[in-house]
Amino acid sequence: MKDTIVQGLQQAYLNLFHMIAEFLPRLVVMLVIILSGLLVAYALKYMVRAVLRLTKLDRLSEEAGASRVLRMAALPSMTEVLSRSVFWITLLGFILIGISILNIAGLQEQISRLLRLLPEIVVAMLILFLGLVIANFLSRAALLAAVNAGYASPKMLSWSIRFGILILAIAMALDELGVARQTVIAAFSIVFGAFMLGLAIAFGLGGQGLARSFLERSLGEKKEDKADELQPL
Amino acid sequence: MAMQDDNLWYKDAVIYQLHVRTFCDSDGNGIGDFRGLTNKLDYLQELGINAIWLLPFYPSPLRDDGYDISDYTSVNPTYGTIDDFKTFLAAAHSRRIRVITELVLNHTSDQHPWFQEARSSQDNPRRDWYVWSDTDTRYQGVRIIFLDTEMSNWSWDPISKSYYWHRFFSHQPDLNFDNPAVREAMWDVMKFWCDIGVDGFRLDAVPYLVEREGTSCENLPETHAVIRDLRMKLDQAYPGKMLLAEANQWPADVRAYFGEADEFHMAFHFPLMPRMFMAVKLEDRKPIIEILEQTPQIPDSCQWCIFLRNHDELTLEMVTDIERDYMYDAFANDKAMRINLGIRRRLAPMMENDRRRIELLNGLLLSMPGTPIIYYGDEIGMGDNVYLGDRNGVRTPMQWNGGWNAGFSSSDPERLYSPLISNPVYGYQSINVDSQRRSEHSLLSWTKSVIQTRNSFRVFSRGSIEFLSPSNHRVLAYVRQLGEEKVLVVNNLSSSAQAVELNLQSYKGHIPIEMFGRNLFPRIGDLPYLLTLAPYQFFWFRLRRI
Amino acid sequence: MAEDILLGDDFLRQLMSVGEVDLLVAIPTYNNAGTVAQTIQAIENSYQQNFVRDRVVILNVDGGSTDHTTDTILSMNGKKSAAHRGITSLRTVHRVTTQYGRSPSQGMALRTILAAADLLRARSCAIVSPATTNLDPSWIANLLRPAYRQDFAFVAPLYSRTKFQGLLARNLLYPMSRAVFGLRIREMYSDEWGFSGRLATQCLNQNLWGEEAVRNRPEAWMAVTAICSGMKCCQSFLGPKAPPPPGSGPDIVETIRQTVGNLFWCFETFQEHWMDRTGTEAVPTFGSDHELLPEDAPASQEKSFELFRTGVKELDTILSSILRPDTLAQIRSIAGAEAGKFRFEPELWVRMMYEFAASYHRSVIARDHILQALVPLYRGHLYSFLLEHRGSSVEEMEADSEALCVEFERQKPYLIERWKAKS
Repeated sequence: MKDTIVQGLQQAYLNLFHMIAEFLPRLVVMLVIILSGLLVAYALKYMVRAVLRLTKLDRLSEEAGASRVLRMAALPSMTEVLSRSVFWITLLGFILIGISILNIAGLQEQISRLLRLLPEIVVAMLILFLGLVIANFLSRAALLAAVNAGYASPKMLSWSIRFGILILAIAMALDELGVARQTVIAAFSIVFGAFMLGLAIAFGLGGQGLARSFLERSLGEKKEDKADELQPL
Repeated sequence: MAMQDDNLWYKDAVIYQLHVRTFCDSDGNGIGDFRGLTNKLDYLQELGINAIWLLPFYPSPLRDDGYDISDYTSVNPTYGTIDDFKTFLAAAHSRRIRVITELVLNHTSDQHPWFQEARSSQDNPRRDWYVWSDTDTRYQGVRIIFLDTEMSNWSWDPISKSYYWHRFFSHQPDLNFDNPAVREAMWDVMKFWCDIGVDGFRLDAVPYLVEREGTSCENLPETHAVIRDLRMKLDQAYPGKMLLAEANQWPADVRAYFGEADEFHMAFHFPLMPRMFMAVKLEDRKPIIEILEQTPQIPDSCQWCIFLRNHDELTLEMVTDIERDYMYDAFANDKAMRINLGIRRRLAPMMENDRRRIELLNGLLLSMPGTPIIYYGDEIGMGDNVYLGDRNGVRTPMQWNGGWNAGFSSSDPERLYSPLISNPVYGYQSINVDSQRRSEHSLLSWTKSVIQTRNSFRVFSRGSIEFLSPSNHRVLAYVRQLGEEKVLVVNNLSSSAQAVELNLQSYKGHIPIEMFGRNLFPRIGDLPYLLTLAPYQFFWFRLRRI
Repeated sequence: MAEDILLGDDFLRQLMSVGEVDLLVAIPTYNNAGTVAQTIQAIENSYQQNFVRDRVVILNVDGGSTDHTTDTILSMNGKKSAAHRGITSLRTVHRVTTQYGRSPSQGMALRTILAAADLLRARSCAIVSPATTNLDPSWIANLLRPAYRQDFAFVAPLYSRTKFQGLLARNLLYPMSRAVFGLRIREMYSDEWGFSGRLATQCLNQNLWGEEAVRNRPEAWMAVTAICSGMKCCQSFLGPKAPPPPGSGPDIVETIRQTVGNLFWCFETFQEHWMDRTGTEAVPTFGSDHELLPEDAPASQEKSFELFRTGVKELDTILSSILRPDTLAQIRSIAGAEAGKFRFEPELWVRMMYEFAASYHRSVIARDHILQALVPLYRGHLYSFLLEHRGSSVEEMEADSEALCVEFERQKPYLIERWKAKS
């Protein structure tokens, strides 16, 4: 019996050794691929950056207003964003190729699925990003307007708008990815509908609080306000 | 045309104004005379004028250039005899040139026998021929005309120990037109000259004939009555003779002197004249348009007399203070050029000898409604001498040639009644009739051709006027019309080239034919008619519908 | 190109008829049928009284009025009853009208005016507002003369104001623009001003018509252009500044967006010109100097203080991206004060404004949001000012004003430092 165990272990170690021996070259190849991918990615990044700098993309994006958007989302300049994106996408591609070399069953399939999903992921990320930016911008605009007009709860208005837009963006992103489509649509409808219903009730119940002051300010009181205001110029 | 046929001859006249003294001296005494003038009638006939207006040539102490008359029915011996005058008249008539003389109704010289008698005693039969007063307080507040020299309209006569009335110089006592004898006497004077054959009279200083307490003593109804009376007698006895009023007033006030075609035949349009100069200087037609808009209609048989310059200063009485200041600054910066309320300069120097501007102003003169008067010497662009006293700077001898005394007189130059203009620009060596006759393109030749063109078309003398109002204010455009004859006149008043679009819709279908070159211009259509004009250029177009 | 729309055929034809002019007065209108006749009469009287020999034109540029403003103007062209004797004026006075667009825009109006001034070779121009009800003929002459007779490029108006009038200008726009650009022009933001033909041509050719700052408050841009081109600027006294009718004109938020936004944009656009300037110079002043007139203290502005406090609290996140932490901390601290004891120190006010300007330059957030965030802080400063000067005399207020200007000048290096900083 001892011999069987020893033999068995020996066989197992041998198998493992063989597996490792078989795996190692692939690993090495993978590492080589990833390393070369790193080099290629860097090279591409610098090339793209140089080309974009030559074409003065930053100036164009500044004029188009895109740079402002990037700044607000705490991102670096357009050239930088694009060159870094090129870097990461290249590297990711090489990593995926490298992983595929490993020939791990099942992983292959997942990788190809991931690769197929890649464009949709990018679009979904874009939608989220845009949604974030718009939510940020509009909620801030609403906050400023409400504060300057003297509304009672400016933050609430601002949050409502941010919340609403974010919900919409998330729903659109998930829909893009095809993740639990029906559930998402239903949930979005419920949440958004409830929100709108809440507002309607508030208005409908004789214009309480925020609703009343909103109406008063926009229709009546404003003239009184203006008379109070001194002539600024 | 026969001389006596047309009773409205004055409407078609182109009048040439001169003083016999300035024109031509035949006897070598340095002063022009009638014989000399007679010798130059060919020149005037060639020029194309058909009427001569003579400044006063009567015996006179000459303290007001002949307007102080001491004998109404004679000729100042310096200028010749009454026979010389008759010879001149006949020669003029034979060349179809009419003659208009001066009749100074309002006053005489204090050397006139009438005044000598009137002042001799308070009982003299002629006493009442003048206006006397024991005090100088009658007719208070009446304005003084010769502000530079007179302090009052009354002067003390030491001989008859009373005051006499004079609206002008103190040596020109006013006649009393309330006295029928005076009116009769003036009618006799008129008859005298009419019998000789004179064609018309310029009545000097008509607004001032009659005085009444509590009035301005100007333009009174009684004055008009005197005129009407004279006119009636004239029409009855001498049909076809013309009366021309010298009334320096606003057009609305001059209107009264036409009456109902029973007073004057013609009157000077004084206010228009400075505004023609102003319009060219401002490069804006507004002054001309405005004054003509304020000019009332006159009876059909009557006519305005228009002119650019004359023997007097360019009067600035009938303009606003703003306009007067502008005219002074524009044309008479040197105070020596100013006298009374006017500018004593000739046309050419005022236009800085700019041929184009001189032509433009003459073009206006000869195309606007009214009988034009050309002042002697302006047809050759004579200059002036503002350093001679009074208004003598514009009364220098006529420049006939570049030789001895400019061909005016054979006398010693020092003997001439006035120095000649002799500077290099306007002097007789460069500006004279003979040298300008030699060139087809001289100012003289040009003036001749323009007068000829004007004379060929009655529309200028008798037609109506309709002003066009293009939005370009630097262009003055109007249409003269008489029956079917239509002439479009377009004047560029500015020193730069102009484009103008004229609304000629009422003349659609007509073909404009430029009158000097007789070239065809594009037919008038629906669109505004576009013309471009060089600086100071003007067009006369016949509008023909063929 | 937009030039095609700028000079339509009809407008061009009108300009052709006018020809060269010496003086041009322009009236931008939008639904001003009620007051425009008065304005035109004032201009004509001014021409008659002061410029009777000069070639002049009155130009109306309309932004698509629906109340027949242009018809009102054109109907004034009818012949006046002829004066009894002589004429009313030496020269033809042209009145040109054109529509520059279907909706009102100060920038487009100005652009049309500058194009006309350029084509007509006008030597001196002035712009007047049809809403100024107390426009006097002498005002127009005072705006035209300096450029016409003495070669000034920009003529700013000068008014006599009551003590509590024009506080935005007095406490912010004037001292800040004075400190930065180095010239003491009090009223860079106004409804009437004058300029030379040369400046008109230069501004016309700059082609900045797409900029919002130029579209909304072009007069300040013209002034700054003149200053930075080394042209001569001056001020000309007009008269009392009439208050606008209640309810007309933009509210304080919009006013700050337009004026302060314009000012910051000018800082940005002309930055090479003001960084090296130190100190300030007075500009020649024609007529009286500006003056402050006594006025009763206005009604309590407690509301402003409330809005200030709310603003500081609610906009904290936004303000923290605009202001430096220590400045924001100080503002938070004063927001906690009692209403009666509140004081917005000049030193803090100036520092805060310069940080706003620098943040605007770096676009830390949307620029329009930066301007809106300023409004509650301005309200706070206004409240503090009114509290402090409720019983002040005119002299005390003037002294205080001058001290504020000096403070802005003193802290200019701080502006430069913040401007150049990376964050």
